[in-house]
Amino acid sequence: MATIERRAFMKGATLGALAFTVGGSTVMLTPGEARARNIPFRLLKEAEAEIIEAIGDTLVQGARAAGVAHFIDHQISVPAEEALLQARIFNVRPPFVNFYRAAVSAIDSGSRRAFGYKFTEATPDQQSEFAHNMRQNKVDGWQGPPAPFVYTLLRTDAVDVVYGTMEGYELLGIPYQAHIVPEKRW
Amino acid sequence: MANEKVDVVIVGAGASGSVFASVLAKAGKKVVVLEAGPDWQLSELISSEMWGRRIRPAGAPFRLEGKNPFGYAGQAGWGVGGAALHYFANHPRFLETDYRMKSEHNRGLDWPIAYKDVAPYYDRVARDVGMAGDAKAEEKWRPAGDPYPMPPMKTFRQGEVLKKGFEAIGISMAPAPVAMNSTEFKGRPACIYDGWCHVGCPTGALANPTVTYLNEARKANAEVRALCTVTRVLTNQQGNRVTGVEYYDDKKQKQVQEASVVVLAAWSGQNPRIMLNSATDKHAKGLANGNDLVGKYMMAHSVAGVSAMFDQDMENHLGTIGAQYMSYDRYPKTSYKSGFGSTYIVAGFAQKTHDFANSRPDLIGAKLHEYMKQAARGFSRVTLFGEALPSLENRIELISDKDAHGMPLARLVHSFDDDAVALWRANLEEGQRAVKAAGAKEAWVGTVMPTTHLHGGTIMGTGASNSTVNSYGQTHELPNLWVAGPGIFPTEGASNPTYTILAVSLRGAEQLASSWGSVTN
Repeated sequence: MATIERRAFMKGATLGALAFTVGGSTVMLTPGEARARNIPFRLLKEAEAEIIEAIGDTLVQGARAAGVAHFIDHQISVPAEEALLQARIFNVRPPFVNFYRAAVSAIDSGSRRAFGYKFTEATPDQQSEFAHNMRQNKVDGWQGPPAPFVYTLLRTDAVDVVYGTMEGYELLGIPYQAHIVPEKRW
Repeated sequence: MANEKVDVVIVGAGASGSVFASVLAKAGKKVVVLEAGPDWQLSELISSEMWGRRIRPAGAPFRLEGKNPFGYAGQAGWGVGGAALHYFANHPRFLETDYRMKSEHNRGLDWPIAYKDVAPYYDRVARDVGMAGDAKAEEKWRPAGDPYPMPPMKTFRQGEVLKKGFEAIGISMAPAPVAMNSTEFKGRPACIYDGWCHVGCPTGALANPTVTYLNEARKANAEVRALCTVTRVLTNQQGNRVTGVEYYDDKKQKQVQEASVVVLAAWSGQNPRIMLNSATDKHAKGLANGNDLVGKYMMAHSVAGVSAMFDQDMENHLGTIGAQYMSYDRYPKTSYKSGFGSTYIVAGFAQKTHDFANSRPDLIGAKLHEYMKQAARGFSRVTLFGEALPSLENRIELISDKDAHGMPLARLVHSFDDDAVALWRANLEEGQRAVKAAGAKEAWVGTVMPTTHLHGGTIMGTGASNSTVNSYGQTHELPNLWVAGPGIFPTEGASNPTYTILAVSLRGAEQLASSWGSVTN
């Protein structure tokens, strides 16, 4: 009975799409598809996106492939009241792009001080060590929003794209049980 | 731009504003409700943690300060329904002791009314919005009242396991009273237990204001104007009456809405911000603030959340975000040797993947994934809400920084006192004992003391010497300026506040309707 009622609310739409412009046309793609098709970023610079992907994948396995950078890039490019980011819940003052730029810069400069090279060039073990140090506020010379706060927010972004989706629930073997399916995953 | 004068303008379309709108519109008053956020439709309430963030605040931020900054953005609302669009619909009532803390313990404050004054309204609200529960089972903690209109909600394995744990340590549990449909109610369907309540229930099974009082208000011709942000309440030249409000509409145009009565129902934090920003030469410190109490006595509940891992499959995805079971056994304000204040216990709410991830914020990468797989079967959590006492130090103040409309932002300063911290610690201990007794192989708690449920800022009392409003929400200084919501509570109990918000608002709105002539002349 419950299943039948639930299905009545489901629209059966293609899941997980954001509006991206490809060749002058708007197409709906998941962030992971957008990444696979190398869709240009709206606001993030390539180097910034690479750092977000690297820290995202360090925090939550699969975040890079799930399109964490495209997800964040998309959400910081829409009006703050439409954004789906946890930044909103953490009372980050819009525009959110300012926060992400400052966070990325702090991660990269912290990595250079700690390891002598860019965060994206650090080994996986070094990246994990750095992330744990962020959480414990132990990154030497950190300059930017508080490191534990950056850790928590970026970790949530990565959780969003990996475990917050219908695919993420499936990955863990949990029924998603939507009343209304997210037509656009993000 | 000026609009045609109306009888009453209500600022905020959340729980309390919706009650005032319904009562006054049905009484034949011309009602306009100004809501800062969107006019959400049920069909827009998508079952997704991320999409659920759209119904959280997106207006001017508060600067959060103090030792225990209030978790504002997750708690407040954005759009019609307000915070009650995403609330958990737990509807415990305040108990007799909450209304007389000062008299009983010489601590905190008394309400100017007693439980018996609010009790009939609890019963009426239950019938109005639809509640499920077992009133008889609650009578060991409170005076008898009417039965709830629906039987208790279904329970699931998680709730049953946790119930046994609490009972094993001597804490009795009862079905949680919730504003959800265990059966069809007033044309709204029964709940299907999918656990997406916190991102907005699109079926109407959960009694959010858009399907209850606000819906009734609209049927009675109340007008709801969405995306309209009120910045000031306006007063007449003599400074003895309010005349309406100034607001910015959905096109960012400044407007004036004149009204015979203004009801501020814009959330405990926002009401003081508007009142303080409405200062004039006759009200130099802000409206109804001759005693400097506007924005004072802000209170929040502490949240003693205890996480647990079980070997057995807890079926934790089933149920609602509201609780399956609850207890008032630790509600007496001196229940523990250390700490002071009431505790309300809930257990058995549906878990989502974000809950798993947030329960172990230290884990990343492969270890996080391993944990997520375990949590999908065996994770559970209980919550013990703790009371904190009213304090003048916990406050809302305007700051020089301004929002997009040029309105000063506000800081919200909040710290728990030693009693509240001790109560929280005692609750963490109690919760761990319960989940271990329930069979958890592991139990753990966080190190940060979370806040929830903001109260105070415009408290009620017996007169202008001790409060901002009377027991109905009418300000002592300006007879046609009213305030609604948990901001008028002088103490906060430990119960989730919405049921009492609705009951006190119903009482206040009916008083306004019945005394209309004296209020408006």
